[in-house]
Amino acid sequence: MTEKLTVYLVDDDPGVLKALSRLLRAEGYDVKPYSSPQVFLEEHDVALPGCAVLDVSMPGLDGLEIQRVLTAGDYHRPVVFVTGKGDIPTSVRAMKAGAIDFLTKPVKDRELFDAVSRAEARDGESRRLHSELESMQAKVSTLTPREREVLTHVVAGRLNKQIAGELGTVEKTIKVHRSRMMEKLGIRTVADLVRMAEKLNLSK
Amino acid sequence: MDLYRCIFGVATFAGMTRTRIVWWSLVLLFLFAAESYAAEPRRVLMLHAFNYTFPATTPIADGARKRLLERSPQAFEIDADFLDLARNTDAEYESRVATFLRAKYEKRPPDVVITLDSAALPFIVRHRDDIAPNVPVVFTSVSPQTHNALRLPANITGIISEFNLDKTLALAERLQPEASRLFVIAGSGDVDRRWQSTARKTIEDRARKFEVTYLFDRSYAKLVEEVSNIPRDAIVIFLTIFADSEGNAFVPAQVAGFLAAVSPAPLYAPYDTYIGNGIVGGFVETLESVGVRAADVTLQILAGKDPATIAPQPNPGQSYRVDHRAMVRWKLQESKLPRHAAVLFKEPTIWTEFRGAVIAAIVIVAVQSLIVGALLVQRQRRLRAENLLRESEERMTFAAAAANIGLWQFDRHRNELWATEHCRALFGIARDAPLTRDAFLSVVHPDDLQTATQSLQKSFETEQPAVSDVRIVLPGEEVRWVRMRARSRSEGGGRPGQLGGIFIDITEQKSAEAEAALQRLEVEHLMRVSVLGELSGSIAHEVNQPLTAILSNAQAALHLLKQDSPDLVEIRDALEDIVHEDNRAGEVIHRLRGLLKKGKRKAENVNINDLVRSTISLLNSELIGRDINVRLDLENSAFLTRGDSVQLQQVLLNLVMNAMDAMASTPTAQRFILVSTRGAQTGIVDVRVKDRGHGIGPKENGRVFEPFYTTKDHGLGLGLTLCSTIIQAHQGRLTLVNDEGGGAIAVFSLPIHQPAIGNA
Repeated sequence: MTEKLTVYLVDDDPGVLKALSRLLRAEGYDVKPYSSPQVFLEEHDVALPGCAVLDVSMPGLDGLEIQRVLTAGDYHRPVVFVTGKGDIPTSVRAMKAGAIDFLTKPVKDRELFDAVSRAEARDGESRRLHSELESMQAKVSTLTPREREVLTHVVAGRLNKQIAGELGTVEKTIKVHRSRMMEKLGIRTVADLVRMAEKLNLSK
Repeated sequence: MDLYRCIFGVATFAGMTRTRIVWWSLVLLFLFAAESYAAEPRRVLMLHAFNYTFPATTPIADGARKRLLERSPQAFEIDADFLDLARNTDAEYESRVATFLRAKYEKRPPDVVITLDSAALPFIVRHRDDIAPNVPVVFTSVSPQTHNALRLPANITGIISEFNLDKTLALAERLQPEASRLFVIAGSGDVDRRWQSTARKTIEDRARKFEVTYLFDRSYAKLVEEVSNIPRDAIVIFLTIFADSEGNAFVPAQVAGFLAAVSPAPLYAPYDTYIGNGIVGGFVETLESVGVRAADVTLQILAGKDPATIAPQPNPGQSYRVDHRAMVRWKLQESKLPRHAAVLFKEPTIWTEFRGAVIAAIVIVAVQSLIVGALLVQRQRRLRAENLLRESEERMTFAAAAANIGLWQFDRHRNELWATEHCRALFGIARDAPLTRDAFLSVVHPDDLQTATQSLQKSFETEQPAVSDVRIVLPGEEVRWVRMRARSRSEGGGRPGQLGGIFIDITEQKSAEAEAALQRLEVEHLMRVSVLGELSGSIAHEVNQPLTAILSNAQAALHLLKQDSPDLVEIRDALEDIVHEDNRAGEVIHRLRGLLKKGKRKAENVNINDLVRSTISLLNSELIGRDINVRLDLENSAFLTRGDSVQLQQVLLNLVMNAMDAMASTPTAQRFILVSTRGAQTGIVDVRVKDRGHGIGPKENGRVFEPFYTTKDHGLGLGLTLCSTIIQAHQGRLTLVNDEGGGAIAVFSLPIHQPAIGNA
């Protein structure tokens, strides 16, 4: 692995914290261990790609609360829970809130690595999607207002003639706008355009 | 004195000679006395009108003689002659008698002549100078009429007898106020006829009038017949009957007796001589009093007084006299008698006759009765007391046997033991074996023999009650517990000689105690198990943590080893951590095992601060799980107390758990438990557990230590009860109070055990 992925590790038990850090480091992760949830939240950097491995029951702020904080913004840090008390209600709540996995202590290395790599993949995927959307957004912002209007109508599935009637112009003009818009966005088919508009939530 | 001794000294020789000597001595004394007075004795002649059988004169003569002897300063010669004039009334007889008397008293003429009865007076008047010329004469029983008729010479004086018929009648009227008829009886003799006229006159002069019948001059037979027909309610006055109409002579006193016997009505008479023969009585003079008066006059004359200057005088000694028997016979009431009336022949009662003896007898009888009564009462009491004692003894024996108690007593001096039969049963001593001290000691368990003997010895020495529990081995190898209570008693100071006491079979009590102790341990253990059960999840977590660390470290090490150039430093660190974490897990399990273990109480040094830390660490996960913040504020001192660490940890565990439970509804941010230790200065360590829960409600206050009292939904109500028991067993105290700032504070105080130097 050329670039080390970061794993935020939070557990109030120093022994467990140290052992899990050692294990994850041995696997090649860049581990940032925290025994205090508060300190972790203060130092948490969303820009760093990677995941968080959280203990569920901790004094002051427990794992589920940390998860809530971590998923409150745009960026959703993937979370793997490690718990001593694997009770079903807690695990259900955690999974519903988007946890990657819910592991019970003592955790086996394979399961942990598996969960962490899935989390890292999820993080990578979401980061890739995020950058894709950002570039698409940048392309959309280059469109003129008329081209933007045409885009909306095309995504809505209207024919050029219909669009022209709607906008009070002729079909030919619409065609020109349409080809220029497609060119700007770098999209060749209407299907791709629709997919992009969905992602960017541009249908309205 | 010598004579006395001589007389009675001789008298002891023979009884016969004694009387003779006394007699002669008296005669000698008399002679000496007589010689010391005049050589010539004075002479008094008693001249009786009739013979000595005549009742009226003899008492007068006796009365006079007694008076003369009593009052006279000199010796007397008293002569008596009986003129017997009743039957002999002729002058020739008189002169013969006079001649005889002159001859008789010529040599020794009397100094005074006392005549007895009025008939003698005319005789001496006629013949005085023949017998003793001009001798003074003292007459008696002469009526005023006779006295007036005789015209006596100067030196003849005497006592005039005046019979007061009026007063006799008055007596009759008093006794018979309703009587209307009056019968008067008199004979035909000279005196009788005089009475007839006196009676008629007296009765006529009286104010009250009767229907009067005079029974005068009757023949005796006729008189008796008439008298026997007198009605019952009449008054009968009997005067005199010296002779009846037929000329028969009578003695009036005897006639009075006969007539009283036949008369249905009461008879009264003015003569004392009749009283006693059957008549009721009257206003009379006693003949003795006449004699006494005559003697007094005689003595005056003998003393030298001229008889001519002594006037004849009436007898002052007259009075009402009645016969009690006659009163009773005619049913006359004594209450109607005049005052000072003499009641004769009244049977003297035993009281009046033997007053002293009667009183003495009554006193003796009373005293004896009292003594007998007292003895009876005492006997009754003793019987009752004996009964009560016996009942009490029976009750006590029964109660003692029922209560499985044997009573005993030991006499040290005589080495004797008394014990109830129940003791025999208690100690399993054979029925025929003697109950001795050794017999009892022989069945005591060898291990307790010393205890038993020391206890008894101590009781002897200190005179304090001693109690000791010993085991006895019954013949069938069965062991039973017996409690001995002994108390010594010294008699009259010195070393106590008596030792008494009881044996109680306390086997059941002992086994119950043992069972209770066992049950308490069982309950304590159960409570620990139950607490740990509640905490099982948290405790599992506590073990799980080190296990997690161990596993992860081990796997990390394995992964590191797989690398091309393994980081050996990191691997070593991992292995060291594994060892460390393993120890940590071991500690938790050790603690758990201690709490789960069943066992007897131990006495060891317990560091209270360590105990607090260990307990809180055991609860760590639970506290986190319940979002409870814990702070320890432990005084920086090694508090050591003596006790059982498991039990003390159980108390602390309980108190912290209670604090946690109390904060179930406290907002998360406020959930807080403070555990503090204090007391390095005081010698007593206070461990306080303070929470911010709901506190103790007013209703719960004071009841929280009661067994089975709980405020929790799933509580047993034994936690605090057990905690309190445990702390008390450690000589400590557990209290639970509300904090002023909210929540409750539980405090237990334990004495600090000073460890040996260098051990702190």
